Amino acid sequence: MTLAAAYHLGTRLFWRDKAMLVASVVTPVGLAVGMPVLMRNVRADGVSAATEIFHGTLAILLSITAFMNIAVALTARRDQLVLKRLRTSRLTDAQILAGQIASTVTQTVALIALSTVAVRLLADVPLPADPVLYAAAVVLGSAVMAVLGAAYTAAIPRTELAAAFTMPVFLLAGVGAGAMPIPLPDWADTVLGLLPTSAVVDAVSRGDVLPLAPNLAVWAVAGLVALRLWFRWEPRR
Amino acid sequence: MTAIQARGLAKGYGGFPAVRDVSFEVPEGEIFALLGRNGSGKTTTVELLTGLRRPDAGTARVHGLDPVADRAAVRRRTGVMLQEAGFFPDLTVAQTVDTWRGFTAAPRPRGEALELAGLSAKAGTRVRQLSGGEKRRLDLALALLGRPDVLFLDEPTTGMDPEGRRDTWRVIRELAGQGTTVLLTTHYLEEAQRLASTMAIMDAGEIVAAGGMAETLAARGGRVAFRLPAGVDPESLPLPVTLDGATAVCRADDPDLAAQTLLSWAAGRGLRLAGLEVRAATLEDLFLDLPGSAR
Repeated sequence: MTLAAAYHLGTRLFWRDKAMLVASVVTPVGLAVGMPVLMRNVRADGVSAATEIFHGTLAILLSITAFMNIAVALTARRDQLVLKRLRTSRLTDAQILAGQIASTVTQTVALIALSTVAVRLLADVPLPADPVLYAAAVVLGSAVMAVLGAAYTAAIPRTELAAAFTMPVFLLAGVGAGAMPIPLPDWADTVLGLLPTSAVVDAVSRGDVLPLAPNLAVWAVAGLVALRLWFRWEPRR
Repeated sequence: MTAIQARGLAKGYGGFPAVRDVSFEVPEGEIFALLGRNGSGKTTTVELLTGLRRPDAGTARVHGLDPVADRAAVRRRTGVMLQEAGFFPDLTVAQTVDTWRGFTAAPRPRGEALELAGLSAKAGTRVRQLSGGEKRRLDLALALLGRPDVLFLDEPTTGMDPEGRRDTWRVIRELAGQGTTVLLTTHYLEEAQRLASTMAIMDAGEIVAAGGMAETLAARGGRVAFRLPAGVDPESLPLPVTLDGATAVCRADDPDLAAQTLLSWAAGRGLRLAGLEVRAATLEDLFLDLPGSAR
C-alpha cells in the first residue's frame, strides 16, 4: 500500500514541523474562531455577524491550511531533494503527489470541523443546516485548493520565498470571501467570486450548490493540467 | 542476460549537451564502473537509466524495460543511490528506514538493512546529526531495502572515511557475488579498479574508453620511473624516457623487462637509479592520458 505510506509520510511530517504548525494550524484556526467570537461580543447582531464572518474565514483556512501548507511543504521537499529521493522508491509520481494532497485535505477538513464546533460553543454560530452539503463543500474545496497549491510550486523559485509567494492567494481568497471586509468595485467582486474559496463560502453560507460543482471542477482540471505540465521535482539547475 | 543497456543515449539541458551517444551494456551479476570527472555526464547517465529523466535520443533498458514508461515495474527490481538526495532531517535513522520500508515491497527488516550499511549503532540518531559519510551509509541502506537485482550507485563512497569506503566495497562485492548487477559511478579510480570488472570512461558527455578492466589496463603496459643521475643525457639511455622534473619516466608494455634493461645499463656505468619505481598501468595513467586532460 504505497499510496497509504505516502499519505502517512505527509501526515507525520505535517505534525512534526512545529514552526509550520504555528502558521498552518494556530493562525488560521485562531482567526476562524477568534473573529466570530469577537463579532458575537461587539456587534448588536452578534450571532448573524459571527456566522457570516465564520463562513468567510473558511476561505482563510482553505487558503492557508490547504493551499499554503502544501505549497510550502512541496517546495521545501523539492529543494531539499526529498522528492527526488521519493522518485527512486516504488512510488509513482502520481502516488507521491496524491499522498501529499490527501494528507493535506485531511488536515484541512479536521481543522475546519474543529473550528465549526468551536464557534458553535464559543460564538453561538449555528451548526450547518445541511451537513452533507457542508461536508462536501469543505472536502472538495480542500482537495481543489491542495491540488492548486501543489501546482503553484512551479511558480515558486525557492523555499524561502514559498510563504511570500502564497500570500497574495491568501489575501485574494480572504477578501473575495468577505473575511476581510474591504469595499470592492463590482467587477473585482465578480472576479474574486470565481475563486474556488469564494464558491465554497457561497455554498456554505447561502446554499449555492449549483455554481459550486462546475467552479470546483474547472479549478481542479486547471490544477491537474498545470501539475502535469509544469510541476518540478527538483530545484532548477 | 543483459541487465542494463544504454543505446545512443543523449540528453541536453538548455542547449548544453550533458550526455551524447552513450552506449554500453552490463551483463547480469557484473559490477560496471562509469568513470569520469565531475561534470562529465555520469550522473545524467544514471538519471536516464533510472527513469528520473527522459532521454532526448536513444534508449535505456533495465531488464528489457523502459525505466521512464515502466518506472514502477523497474523499481521493483532496482535500488538507486543518487549522488545527492535529501532526507527528512528530523526523523531518526530508524524512522527513516521504517518510512522507506513502507514504500518497498517485501523489504528487508530494518535491523538487517542497518547492519548491512554499518549503521546499527546510529539507529536512534536524527538524520541531521549524521556525518556526511553516515548519510551515505543511510543512502546505501535505503537503496538495498528491496533486495534489488540491479543496483545503481552514483558516487557511493564520496564523503566516507577510509573505513566506510572499505565497508561499502565489501557490501558491494558481496551483493555482486550473490548475483546483483551493479552500476557504479565514481571519480575514485582505485574504487573502480578494485570493484569493477568492466568500465567506461566518460568525458564531456561521451564515452571515450570502455572495456574489461584487466584487458584495458594490460593493454596500456606500465611505467618505470627513477631520478635521472646527474650529468646523464636522457638521450643516452637505452630506452626512450620523458622527463617530469628530475624524474625520468619510461613507458613500456613490459615494465619489468624495461627496468632490467635500465638497471643493467646503469650497472655497466657504475650509476645508481635512485627512487626506482616499477608498476603496471593504473586507471589513473589511462585517465591522465585522455584527450583534454590538459596535463
